[in-house]
Parts: sequence; C-alpha cells; structure tokens
Amino acid sequence: MGFLKKIRGFFHDDWCSKCQSKMEEKNRRLYMLPMMVGHYTSHDDAEYYKKNLIQVNSKADIPIGNYACGLIAYECQECGHKAVKLSIFLPVRDEEKLEDAKYFENGEMDNFIER
Amino acid sequence: MEEKKLKKINVVYLLLYIFAPMVICAICFWIKGMFFPKGNMAVILTMVPCILSIVWWIFAGKIVYTKTKNKLEKKLDEMGFERNHTFNGSSCTVVVDAVHGNIGMAFFWNPSEVFVLPASRITKTWVDDGKTGAGIFAGSARVSFLFTIDDIKVRVNTFTSNQRWRMDSDYILTGISKADMMVDVLEEARSIKEK
Repeated sequence: MGFLKKIRGFFHDDWCSKCQSKMEEKNRRLYMLPMMVGHYTSHDDAEYYKKNLIQVNSKADIPIGNYACGLIAYECQECGHKAVKLSIFLPVRDEEKLEDAKYFENGEMDNFIER
Repeated sequence: MEEKKLKKINVVYLLLYIFAPMVICAICFWIKGMFFPKGNMAVILTMVPCILSIVWWIFAGKIVYTKTKNKLEKKLDEMGFERNHTFNGSSCTVVVDAVHGNIGMAFFWNPSEVFVLPASRITKTWVDDGKTGAGIFAGSARVSFLFTIDDIKVRVNTFTSNQRWRMDSDYILTGISKADMMVDVLEEARSIKEK
C-alpha cells in the first residue's frame, strides 16, 4: 500500500476529496475476502470486490487465515460527494494486520451497498 | 495407508552432506602433497574441491529437498490425495488432505523417504510464537507450528529472522496467522479421520 494512502487511511479516511470537509458515515459492514494469508493480491477493480466479498457479522465468522474487508460508505453533507472505503486486513487473534485500503469515489460500489 | 514410523532425519545423508566434501578435500590435499607438490595440478587439487564443497553446501540441500518434494507430490497424486493445504517450510513440507484426514510430509534431512500418514496419529498440535521479553520489549525472531506424531515432535517454521521483531509487526502477525491456520487445518483433518 502506498505511503500517502496509508497516512490517509490512518487519519483522514473520512475527509471529502472534493471540499475537504468531514464526511458522514452512512454504512459500515464487514466482509470476508476469500484470499488466504500469504496469497494476497491487490485488486483495483470494484467488480472484483462485488463478486467476491462475503458478508459476515463479526470477525469470529471469518475462518483463520482468511482476509477480512471492512466497508465504510461516506457521504459529504456539504457537497453531496459519496465515497466508499475498503480496508483489507488480516485478523490475527486480537490484532489486525492492515494490508490494503481502496477508495471508490465514482459510485462504483453504489449498487453493491444497496443490495 | 502407511504404518511406517516417522523419521525426520536420515543420519547417513546428514553425515554425508556435512563430511563428504571435507573427506574429498582431504583426499585431494593428500594426493597433492604426495604426488603434485607444485604446478598446475597442485592448484587444481587445492581449489576445485574447495569451491565444489562450498557450492555443495549452499545448493545441494535445496536441490535434493526440491526433488523430495516433487517425489511427495507424485506419490500424493498416485494415491488420490486431495491437497487442500500445502505448507512449504524450510525443513519440512506438510500437505493436508482435509477431506480424507491424511497428511503428507517431506523432510529436508530425510530425502530418501516421504510420508503419507493418517492425521489420527497426530497427538498434539500447537503454535509457538517465539515470544521473549515483556511489555514493550516483547518480540520474536521465529514463529512456527508444531505437532507430534508417534511422539515425534515436528516443527515447521512459518517465519524466521536473524533479528527480533515486535509482536505486532507485520512479519510476526503473518507468521502467527499462517501457523494458526495450519494448526486449525491439522486439527480438522485429525477430527475427520477419528470419526
């Protein structure tokens, strides 16, 4: 994951990229990504996530060694801009190893969230 | 399914691997000293065995181990073994058939044999995160999963380093995750076989 993306992921993932104001969190879900530890491959295409993400209720539902994906949907109250952040991480006991963060800001994930 | 006892080390291979180049070097030095004290032949008899010995110690083990793993894979395919999980460790390869409850193993120090055993022979499985130190000084240089078969302990490293890493570092967490997953898979295979 790129350094700037990592910084943004840690501190300002809820900032609007259009007007820089704080966005409101609209939706938050947890998914399992069917990829095993040691075999992670980064995908930039939203279609990949729409096709492969499996919704789970908690981290306990994710088999050991599988990646998890946290989805947060944001909407800016100032300019109406929408964004979806995917945080891909490896749950390891009580810890989380952040692997990647993906931002979709052109409505690529809208129909997936509405499911 | 095989009933033979697990053997991690072939002592003859281990001794040959370590001492055979030394013996060949000694013989070459002796020949040089006795018959070719000077000249080109003396240089050849000194340099060539030394270089070949170093090449042997660096590469031969890995080449032989790769061939052993290939032999294991061939055997597993012949037996109709379903390879659900394969973990290639530096000293041991473990392949788990979680459908039929069997495990296949190949060892670095025993290239003459590969093992396919029922997982019910596993008596214990656990993860060793290698943690030493406390508080902010806690760290590890090795993570591994272990299991015992026929009272023989098998350790497979999922992470090793020549330096200590914090317990929340990416390397350690990845190693723990792999080890946890393999222990889970081995337990699953054992429970299937015991049913």
